Amino acid sequence: MDDAQVVGLLVRRCISGDAAAWEEIVQRYHRRIYNVCYRFAGDAENAQDLTQEVFIKMYRTLNTYDSGKGAFMTWVTTITRNLLVDHFRKTKSDRVTDSLDSIPSEHEDAQPLSERIADRAPPPDASVQSRETREMVHLALQKLSPELREAVILRDLQDMDYREIATALRVPEGTVKSRINRGRAELARLLQRTYRQVI
Amino acid sequence: MPEEMKHGMACAEFDALLSDALDGGGLSSDRQEKFEAHRRVCTVCGPMFAEAQAGQQFLQTLEEVEPPAYLVHNILAATSGVESRRTVSADGRTAPLVERAREWWDSFFSPVTSFVRQPRFVMSFGMIFFSFSLALSIAGVKPADVAKVDLRPAALRHAYNDAQIKVVKFYDNIRFVYEIESKVRELKRANAPAETAPAYQQDVPKERKNNNDTSGQPDQRQDRNYSQEYNQPMLAALNGPPAVTRTTNRRLI
Repeated sequence: MDDAQVVGLLVRRCISGDAAAWEEIVQRYHRRIYNVCYRFAGDAENAQDLTQEVFIKMYRTLNTYDSGKGAFMTWVTTITRNLLVDHFRKTKSDRVTDSLDSIPSEHEDAQPLSERIADRAPPPDASVQSRETREMVHLALQKLSPELREAVILRDLQDMDYREIATALRVPEGTVKSRINRGRAELARLLQRTYRQVI
Repeated sequence: MPEEMKHGMACAEFDALLSDALDGGGLSSDRQEKFEAHRRVCTVCGPMFAEAQAGQQFLQTLEEVEPPAYLVHNILAATSGVESRRTVSADGRTAPLVERAREWWDSFFSPVTSFVRQPRFVMSFGMIFFSFSLALSIAGVKPADVAKVDLRPAALRHAYNDAQIKVVKFYDNIRFVYEIESKVRELKRANAPAETAPAYQQDVPKERKNNNDTSGQPDQRQDRNYSQEYNQPMLAALNGPPAVTRTTNRRLI
């Protein structure tokens, strides 16, 4: 029995009221959904709330899942993505892809992102440096526009293929590829400027 | 992006193949060659390729983050409301039995304890304790006495028998007292009419004739014991003319 059949069986059991099947689904997918939410929202607290919301939505709409239309993971990703976009709109933190030298908002201090990152210059220790790099990448990821961010998260962090991403995002595959290219390039530009200033 | 053909490939085509090339999507050798040639020559697509490649490498440094330990528990509580049957620790191992028992204990009692520990109940519990201790101290119960209570079955049976004997004795004594009281009351009742009857009988006709008294004076009989009056045996009666009371005389004057 392959993975799709196992998941299909779990979903059917869950719809018929089997609590153990639902727990199995939660155990299988919570880590993945939490990671998507964390990388998109930027912090653990929001990620936890959003993950819970995703599962609540899943639980309510599980009977609408049609295995013939796509993989369960794609369906789950679509729900996750829709909730993330809703959350993004609600919080009104519509951060456009901006350069590190631009001032993000009037609420933050006048220091541009590049300087704020540069203030935390990585110490010589390699592991600390690696951790600092990861933090900078995570911070820079939050500066991408939601369209570019979700595309690179699903491709480079969740390792989904282009067709699955296109299905989840409901855009053509060419658009997905274009967004991934632009997202990666924009992220690199943000970080390279930072490194240049640090060095 | 300029639609310029460089080495047999337009920039749009380069852009479409860029992600495949970076992901190792397997371009045909002919296309791979054109792609590389375009990248080297094009001033837009060349830097774009380098940046996308760098961005991809940056993203690969990000590791998977660990979800909070109670995320599954919270999700199940918010959805099915069923407690997780298997407790899996953060590193994926099953938690030991003691830990699971403690979690079960916590999950069972924590809602109760958290409810009870609310500040609004603290004053109530304090007042209950204070009232209870005050009542015990007034009743003469000391904690030291309570500690000395013998809880052996034989001792409990003995204490029960003692209490039963005391109750029976008390009841018998009370009954004896009531019997004595009733005998005394009967004797009094038997003796009392012979002494009081003449005076009483003289008054009765007088009072009965004053039914049409409109003087406004309070009726002198109103505080008499009527039951006693009519239960008494009638020993004598006057058949003479109605007596004129002092009040009537006054009215006539």
